[in-house]
Amino acid sequence: MDFDSPDVMKDFPGLYASELNKQCNNDSDYSDDNEKVMKKDILIGKRKEKKDKDKGYAALEGESSADENFKSRSPSKTKKAKSFKFSTKTKEKRDKSREKEKDVDKKKDRDKKNDKKLDKEKLKSEKTKKLKQSLDESADIGDILPIFGATLEVAVERSRCHDGVDIPLPIRECIDYIESIGVSFEGIYKEKCNKMNKQSLAAALNHTFHCSSRLLHALLHHCPALFPSIRIERYIPPLESGAKLPDNPEEIDHELKKQESLLTQIHKEMNVGCISKQREELLWEVQRIITQLKRKLKCANKDKEAVVEKNESLHEEKEEAKKLTTETGDQSQDTPDHSDIQEIKQNLSIVPESQHEDLSRVEKSVDINEECSKNDDGASEYSVLDNNLALLQLKNEGLHLLRDSLLKDIQTERNQIMLLKSHISTDTPPTMMVPSENLDEVMDLFLKENQILQIKKINLVRQIIEEQEMCIELKAQIQSHRL
Amino acid sequence: MSKKPTAQPALHKVIMVGSGGVGKSALTLQFMYDEFVEDYEPTKADSYRKKILLDGEDVQIDILDTAGQEDYAAIRDNYFRSGEGFLCIFSITEDESFQATQEFREQILRVKNDENIPFLLVGNKSDLEDRRKVSFQEASDRAKQWGVPYVETSAKTREHVDKVFYDLMREIRARKMEENKTNNGRGKDKSKKKKLKCTLL
Repeated sequence: MDFDSPDVMKDFPGLYASELNKQCNNDSDYSDDNEKVMKKDILIGKRKEKKDKDKGYAALEGESSADENFKSRSPSKTKKAKSFKFSTKTKEKRDKSREKEKDVDKKKDRDKKNDKKLDKEKLKSEKTKKLKQSLDESADIGDILPIFGATLEVAVERSRCHDGVDIPLPIRECIDYIESIGVSFEGIYKEKCNKMNKQSLAAALNHTFHCSSRLLHALLHHCPALFPSIRIERYIPPLESGAKLPDNPEEIDHELKKQESLLTQIHKEMNVGCISKQREELLWEVQRIITQLKRKLKCANKDKEAVVEKNESLHEEKEEAKKLTTETGDQSQDTPDHSDIQEIKQNLSIVPESQHEDLSRVEKSVDINEECSKNDDGASEYSVLDNNLALLQLKNEGLHLLRDSLLKDIQTERNQIMLLKSHISTDTPPTMMVPSENLDEVMDLFLKENQILQIKKINLVRQIIEEQEMCIELKAQIQSHRL
Repeated sequence: MSKKPTAQPALHKVIMVGSGGVGKSALTLQFMYDEFVEDYEPTKADSYRKKILLDGEDVQIDILDTAGQEDYAAIRDNYFRSGEGFLCIFSITEDESFQATQEFREQILRVKNDENIPFLLVGNKSDLEDRRKVSFQEASDRAKQWGVPYVETSAKTREHVDKVFYDLMREIRARKMEENKTNNGRGKDKSKKKKLKCTLL
């Protein structure tokens, strides 16, 4: 296998995808079955708990040293999204290579073909080598920070998946690759693995995992039952510059974490001496994306705060409006002391007016209310809100609805006032015409009753609003828990 | 990493350095978005890119806004290395920040290993004349000693904000042209001329 000669390897510093692909093309040592076994191995590795993975990992390395040398070149350049093209590009290539292999399988001219291919590739690689060298003056990162042959922890550290799943990136890519093609290949997902397959698999891997094939078989057989909570999540690498950044605060936050993880890794790599024009470019690029994301997040948060503030101020407004109605109610209750009915009538006609004025005044004093809400109960509520963006969002929606309904209430009340006003103006003459000695007493009675009812009503309204707020709070909490 | 098409405009990399709170971010944001941020929030590192017209030529400027605090010194070298020009900022209302410029200058020279790296000494907060602690003379003396221009700016009023960035970019551009020439085998005389020009600015 002259393909593994160090000369050729240098030609592809870090070109993980193409390397792996070529390996598949030229690696005639591996039969198709063997290849599948390898993949399965990896897949199993992931499904098992770390311990098993670790072992599988170490064993992998022992099994094919040439192989692993070669992969060790892959590392962190593949970390960027580009590398991920591997899943599509290489897929095609692999498929092709497989077809080819099937066609010419065990024919002698296969070797010749491979040789030709090799020659071509050597030519190509020499070109790319020159290109690469001009771009990448520094030492290859794979030499400084190898991931194959290192412990799992170190490998994860060096070749990180930036979404927080602690699997070395090449392994993750293999898993994703199998996930993407597994359905179309017999024996992976297409046809259920039969007992024989599992047994042979276990037999092939028991050395790798340093455990008996029976145990391995049992593990394979009961995999879903043993590891029910393990989900395979496709790795989505950090966005590259030029890509559309998310708008949703949660998505922004998620992406920001990925980018920051990537940035940390770039810094780490640079600190151990992996410095190249490319990496510097990448550093600025990632930093730029982070800056943009942070800016976006800040804007989104500001908008949210503004909306919440508005909502709270509207609450205040509403409450104040209620207070004012009670005050005006008191005013009207004060009037009965005067025996003169005319005065009562006058007062009654004034009440709605003043109420109306008060309401409009309340609206004008929104600014003051805003400050009030900030200083008062808002302050404590705020810190909580800030802490939980999701909660805030949900609560915000609820408050929005409440605000709308309260605004509607205000409007209907206003209409009521207008209606009453017009009633008074039309009704007053007859009431005035009725001369009765009992009138004062009746008035008193009615007014007292009125007062009591008014107070009850206000209390009930307050309770309702409080309950509504509680409901919104609880709903938001429930939903955020669900998320 | 994506290789940029050759048609892409020239890209100049500018790095903002200086102590904490002197207004590096304020200058950057004023230049980038015409906004002045009142509330202070320490930067870890931020990077911006803007397309601008420099003497009739389309160019891109990459601005890296670094941390003034020592906490982030570990990652600073990685950025300094890739910078093509530096704006070294201090606050005219704070002598300490002016003294710190000396150290920043040394750090940059150490990393870049180049005395003639495009560099501007910038005294920010010129709108706060009544609180001035660093005299114009003092600052321009230091700039002369280093062989760099000295400019006073105000991120608040936008005074000289564009100037410092454009001046620095012109220096970077001149520097790059000069390098290209020396790479082609001639231009030692040119470089001398250019150097003189820079100090005169």
